[in-house]
Parts: sequence; structure tokens; C-alpha cells
Amino acid sequence: MSPASARFTSLLENKVLSRLEKMRLYPQRRLTNRTRGEHQAGKGGTSTEFADYRDYVAGDDVKNVDWNIFARLERPYVKLYRHEEDLHVVLLLDCSVSMNFEGKFERAKQLAAALGTLGLMNLERVSVYACTSAGGEPAFLAPCTGRVSRGRLFDFLERLESRGDCPFETAIDGMLSRHRGRGVVILLSDFLTFGDLQKPFNMLYSAGLEVSAVQILSPTELNPELTGNLRFVDSESGQTLDVSNVGDLLSVYHAHRLALEEEVAMICRQRSGRFVSISSQEPLESVLFDLLRRKGWIR
Amino acid sequence: MNWGGFLNPMAGVWFLLVVPLVILYFLKLRRPQLEVPSLVLWRSVINDSRVNSPFQKFKRNLLLLLQLVLLGCLVLAAMRPYWRGTADQAQYLPVLIDCSASMAALDKPGGQPRLELAKQEVRRLIDNLLPGQRLALIAVSNTARSLCDFSDNPRVLRAALDKLTVQHAPSRLEDGLRMAQALALTNPVETVLLYTDGNLPSVVSFDLPFELSYQKLPSAGPNVGITAVNAQRNRDHWDVFVRVDATKNSSQTTTVEFWNSGRLEASELVTVDGTGSQRVVFNLPDEGAASLEIRLKPDGFDALSLDNEAFLDLPRQRNLRVHCPLSLATYRQAMPEQDALVLYPDEEGNGKGADYDLVITDQAADLELDARMTLAVGVIPNDLKSLLEATTQVGEIVDWQRSSPLLQYVQLRDVQLGDEPRKAEGVEDKAFEEAGYEILAQGKRAPLVLHRGRAARDDYVMLFHTDRSTLVYRIGFPILVKNTLEEARRLAGLSEARSLPTGVLESRRVAPDSSFTVTSPDGSQTVHRSTAEGDLAGIAAPMIGRYRVESGTGEPEMFGVSLQSVTETQLEGVDTLQVKEVRVTAATTRLQTDRPLWPWLALLGFSLLLLEWLLFQKRPGGMKAPA
Repeated sequence: MSPASARFTSLLENKVLSRLEKMRLYPQRRLTNRTRGEHQAGKGGTSTEFADYRDYVAGDDVKNVDWNIFARLERPYVKLYRHEEDLHVVLLLDCSVSMNFEGKFERAKQLAAALGTLGLMNLERVSVYACTSAGGEPAFLAPCTGRVSRGRLFDFLERLESRGDCPFETAIDGMLSRHRGRGVVILLSDFLTFGDLQKPFNMLYSAGLEVSAVQILSPTELNPELTGNLRFVDSESGQTLDVSNVGDLLSVYHAHRLALEEEVAMICRQRSGRFVSISSQEPLESVLFDLLRRKGWIR
Repeated sequence: MNWGGFLNPMAGVWFLLVVPLVILYFLKLRRPQLEVPSLVLWRSVINDSRVNSPFQKFKRNLLLLLQLVLLGCLVLAAMRPYWRGTADQAQYLPVLIDCSASMAALDKPGGQPRLELAKQEVRRLIDNLLPGQRLALIAVSNTARSLCDFSDNPRVLRAALDKLTVQHAPSRLEDGLRMAQALALTNPVETVLLYTDGNLPSVVSFDLPFELSYQKLPSAGPNVGITAVNAQRNRDHWDVFVRVDATKNSSQTTTVEFWNSGRLEASELVTVDGTGSQRVVFNLPDEGAASLEIRLKPDGFDALSLDNEAFLDLPRQRNLRVHCPLSLATYRQAMPEQDALVLYPDEEGNGKGADYDLVITDQAADLELDARMTLAVGVIPNDLKSLLEATTQVGEIVDWQRSSPLLQYVQLRDVQLGDEPRKAEGVEDKAFEEAGYEILAQGKRAPLVLHRGRAARDDYVMLFHTDRSTLVYRIGFPILVKNTLEEARRLAGLSEARSLPTGVLESRRVAPDSSFTVTSPDGSQTVHRSTAEGDLAGIAAPMIGRYRVESGTGEPEMFGVSLQSVTETQLEGVDTLQVKEVRVTAATTRLQTDRPLWPWLALLGFSLLLLEWLLFQKRPGGMKAPA
């Protein structure tokens, strides 16, 4: 058996998978569902994990009275336990043609596989949306959970192709029209869109989804080395833009790229979300086990 | 102030090409296409207010700007602009280049000869030749030689200039100016350029029909050299005199070596301080013909080596052959017996020489004898018979040339003549000069003593017979005879010898109608033919060294020639030339010629073309094509 065939998925190496099995997603807010799960809810529940005491009031079930405390203090106290609910992890991939440059889409699929694996291995509900063609239904992986669903997840991701022309903000609309429940949404895109990101991010926030945005840019987008007079052609729309003396405009370009990063990060922060920008050529393990870990995305 | 101009301003019409150039630029502007993931960022960059600044707009059309500048350069080049120099813009410009011996002088050890500096200046003229301008190159030494007629072909001019070498001769400007004047007859010449180190005679006898621009080259270093060598026979030995001169304001020490037939006879250390010349005397026993060589070995740096060598050929000693008829007994008696001479005919009237050194006669037939010098007494030569009439009138000598070799120390005052001639009707003294005679003594009615010097013969004519005058009773008569003998000895080369300067060898008496081969010091040979009278003249000796003259029969003769020029040795450049009434001052700055600018514009245009090609062909990098 060749080493390639021994891999569980072509997206991730086995050693990465084994490391991911020992980790879990760490959302900033407890946006869990009522469904019993692995994530502790903020309010009391019926789990075995002690949370607090409160005074007994009429109507409380006496079985919840802590008799040891009653014997010592001669006052009845009710013992409270944490409620453990499941976390819905929504992965939204930008499958537009703009992601088809210098491994951006590959890196997006790898991150989706890794983050989805984290969810599945920790018994979260994981669903995946991929924006493809404008006006059409987004590719969709129904919520699934448990280790057994990893195969479905990987298979879905491996079959995705970056040939769509759907704007990312439209894709968010499409995702919200189908999605139900609170949780965490992880957006994997280059966020190079002409549309307004405020509205879709507001909708995500209103839907009870904590937004985690990962911007994936190619090295050429991060540091273009261009000179002369060029005619740029948009890979998605085919529109052209004539730019003269590109070399002298690179400083302005960098300023605008950083401004875009800052804008998306600000939108995320204002909605209690998180944002990180990576290069498509940055090693996956470095992103997962160093960058995201340091930023507290995963533990 | 005129800074320059255009030779072809009509070419400025081509500037109208700017209009189609701009139109075609915008119609044909081609940009490399580059697919990018999204135009989001680039569109925002373009929309940035900074991008729309005037400077950015200017830079966006860099290629158009380059094309406009390129067109401007090409059109300006076609208009043929030039930068005006200090030289007059003459269409025909003769250039005189001094190539005399002093132009070989160096300014320092290992430095450049003056001629090379002159060549560099002339090369600059040739390189900056404007269209329509023509140069003629003339080499000037003791004579002038045309190197190249008027030409605007730089290759021809450079080739002619490269052939120019230093001549072993002193400078003489007149011939060069005459040659330039001859060029001015067929072409409009306004200015003549002269490149020289200034070692010229400061007075030039020439009427300038044009302006002479005197370009004086930098001075050479200190120099010492031989400026004269001669010898006088003193009874049984020769006294050889060597004159050594040096540049002014310098003190030079040198060893003077005296070589005889390849053997060092003597040497002497002399110091020449530049304020005057040094004279060195060597004694040489008279042991027949000798070939002498004088060499200088300076202790320090010597700017010119050509004047460090001189030659002197001493003749074999013999008796003077004199023909004097018995009828001139007074002359025969006045000849001192101890003087080494052979008198023809003898007292019995016998004997006849082959060729005479001196003929003293009162018979017209004797004047046809082959002699180096003749003294006709009371005989009117045939060529003067139309100018003079013989009389028996008494007369006296009014005036005479006391410096003449024949008449020096001879007192002719109050000498009574018994047969004073008179000039023919309507004849002036000028007629005698036109006949080639110089008047040495003048009577009341006609000249009385004449002299005619020719290449190989000197004729003295006394138009009165001394036997019919009181001169034979005066003390001046034996002095006259003595002077005659001394002059005859001098002309025969028996009493003194002097070193020959470069130029043309003196005329010699040889076998008539014979061919002679002359071998120069560099080995080149020329053939000369003697005249029917036996004169061998016109042998050019432009190089320092020994010349060998040989005929098919007899022993070959050797002649050594050397520079021997005080002006060439002293290297004292004159700052002002007095050309008749015109004073020509040396230019203090180097001549700047009109400089054509079109080659630089064409070069700039070519560079711009390359730059534009590079900019146009440069591919954008960085963005990889989608997989």
C-alpha cells in the first residue's frame, strides 16, 4: 500500500488528523443549542458537573436539595449543575474563481477539513456550505456529528471545485436561508468582493452565529511584483482594468489591502467575532497548531 | 553672443510628426494582459485620489514621452546643429604644420614630441569637421610640402596627417605661406592656421592676403646641441671649431666628442648656460682627407637629439692651380712664391692644366677655360659688351665694396685709370644686376669691378686694365692678388671646410654628362646627372647623416650633413611673428572648432530607443496563471 493511499483523506495528513483529534474548537461565546451536547451551557442543567448553589424555593424538586449542607447549616440549598449542549459548527467556503489562484482554494478546503474534524471529533454538529454559482443553490453538507461523519465531510470537501461566480455576501444569504440554530460560523474566503460585508455579517450575528473569518490570500496578492503598463482581467467577471506604471502604485495597493484586512477584522470584532488573515503558502500545521492556537481559536 | 546654429533648419518641418505619433500612440497602445483573482483592490487603488495626481498622469504615458523625446532628438539631429567654437567658420581652411627639427623636441623624459601634439590638434580639427568644410594640410620645414589638398574626407585627411614626420631642417615659413596663397587663388581662403612650436624666424617676408592664426604649441624642455662646425687650415694642421648652444635660461653640461674616421680623437666637457654659445677647438694634423664626426653626450635631459651630431669632411690638400698669361707679368710677380700654387703657363710659356682653380687673364679667349674662379682684367665679357663701351678716357674709382673678399683691405681711392669704360646709351646700373652681376666698384661713367656668382663658378671682372692704371704701383695691388688667391683657395675648398647643413648639397664640379647614384643615410638611392658643363647640383639631403655619391668610375665621395641651426637648438619660440607690416601674435588658448552636435543627438536617440524597447518588452512578473 502506497503512502498516499494510506492517508485517510487527501486534504490532511494522518499526523495532522491525529493531532486534531486531541484538540477542540474554542468559541468565544456559548452559542449552544438546546440539544444536549458536549458544550456546557451558561445556565443550569442536568449534567453531572457542579455549577453552584441557590436557596431552595417552594416548588423545587427536593431531590436536588443538598442534604449535607442542610445538615450542617440547617437550611435547604438546591444544588445546581451545568447544562451541556451541542455546538453547531458551520463552515462556509468561498468557491469562486478568485480562490483558484496559488493554492488559495486548496488551503481553504484543508482548513475546512481540519476545523470540521475538530467539530466532529468533539461531537459537534458540523455543516458545510460552499458558494458556487450565482443564483443557484449552494453546495451543502447537512449537519452531521461524530467520528463516523468524517468520511462524509472529507468526501464533500474533496469534490468541491472553485468554479463559481457567486459573490460571497450572496452566499451568506443562501446559507442563512437554510441554516437553523446557533453556533459558530467559520468563513473561509479571500473577502475580495465588491459587495458590502456589513449586512451579511449582521445577519450572521442575528442568527446567533459567532463569526470566525479566515482570509486566505495568495503570496502574489500579499506582495505583488508588477511593473509597466498592464491590463488586469478579473478572473470572475472578465472585466478589465488598465493600469499604467503599476510598479509605482504598489505602495497604494498595500495600503488598500491592509485597509481591507482591517475592515473585515473590525466587522468581526464589532460582532464578537474573530478574524485572521493567512497566506495560501503558509504551512497548514503552522496555521492550525501555531497561529489559530495562539489566537485561541482551538485548544 | 552666437552659441551655435543649425546647418539644415528646414528639417524642423519633421517636428510635425508629433501629431501622428500621438494619435498612433493612443490608437496602438498595447498592454500586456494579466488575469488577477479580483479587481477589488486595484480598482480602489485607481480610484485613490493620489493616483490621479498630475505627476502620476505624466508617468502613465512614459512610453509616449520617450517617443516624443526620441522624435525630437532625431529631428534635431537632422537639422544638424553645431556648437560654435573660437575658430572662424571658414569653408576652406589651409593648415600649416611645422615639421622642422625642433618639432621632435620633448618636454620631459618620455614625453611627446611637439609634432605629435600638433597632430593631435589637427586631428581634433578633422574630427570636428563640419559639413561643407574642407581642410588642406601643408607641411612646413625649410620648404613646404602639400600633404593633402582641400578635402572634407576625414579618412583622407587623417591618412595624410599620419604620414607627416619630422624633417631634419630648420623652419622657414615663407614657402608654406606661398603654398597657402596658391590655394587661395582657386578657393576662398580667409584664414590660415599655423601649428608650430614657435621656433621660426620672427620676421617673415611675405604679404599676407589672409588672416594667419598662429597656434603655438607648449614649449619643449632644455636642450643642448651643435650649431656650427667648420675648420681652417693652418699651415700643417686643421683647426676644427665646434659651436655648442643651449636653450636660454638653462645650464647644460655636455661632453663634446671628436671622432675621426670612427676613432675617438678627443673629448671635452663644456657647460652652456644659455646666455651665450660655447666654442670648442680641436686640432687635427693635416694628413690628407678626413671624415670627422662631432658628437654631444649631454649629462642631463636633452629635449632634442637631432642636433647632437655633426659631420665635417676635410679635403685632401693640394696646390692651387692658377692660369695667368705671361702678359699679366704684374700679377705673376705679385703672387708670393711660398704659397702652394702651380702657375700656368711657366715662364717659358709652356704647360696647360686640366682644370684650374683660378684663371687671371686679360684675354677674352681665356675666359672660356674651365675654372672655379676667373678674374678678367681689362676684358669686357661677351654678355656685357652690349652694356659697355671701351674708351681711353682717364677716370677714377668713386666707391667700392670694402667687404668684398676681393677688395678687402685694398685702397682704391685716387687710383687713376687709363681706360675707364662707359655705359652704353640708355643703360642703367640695373641692367648689370639683371645680367647677374654685382657691382663691387663704381666709376664715374660705369661700373668698374663686377662679380657674378654661379653654382660652380665665380667670375670677377675688372673693366679696366690694371697695367694702364696706377693701381699696380700701390700697396693695394699685392693685397688684391693675395685676396684673389685666398678667395680661389676658399672656393676650391683648400683653405677651410665647413660642415654641410641639411637641405640641398652644394653644387660640385664633376665629369660632364655623367650619372651619379646618391645613397641617403636611410639607404634609399637616387640617380642624378651632371650637366654638360660638369655641374652636379640639386642633390637633396633632408636627413642628418652621411650621403654617398658615386659614379660608375672613380672613388665614391661621402658627405655628412647635420642640422646646425641656432633657432632649432635654442628652442626659443617667438610669441609674435612680424609678417611684413602685420604682427601675428600666438594664440593664448587652444583653438576650439565648431562642434557638430548631431552625433550626440543621434546617440541619445538610439539610447532612448533601446530604453523604450526595454520598457515595452519588459514582462510583468509575480502573478501566476491559474491552474
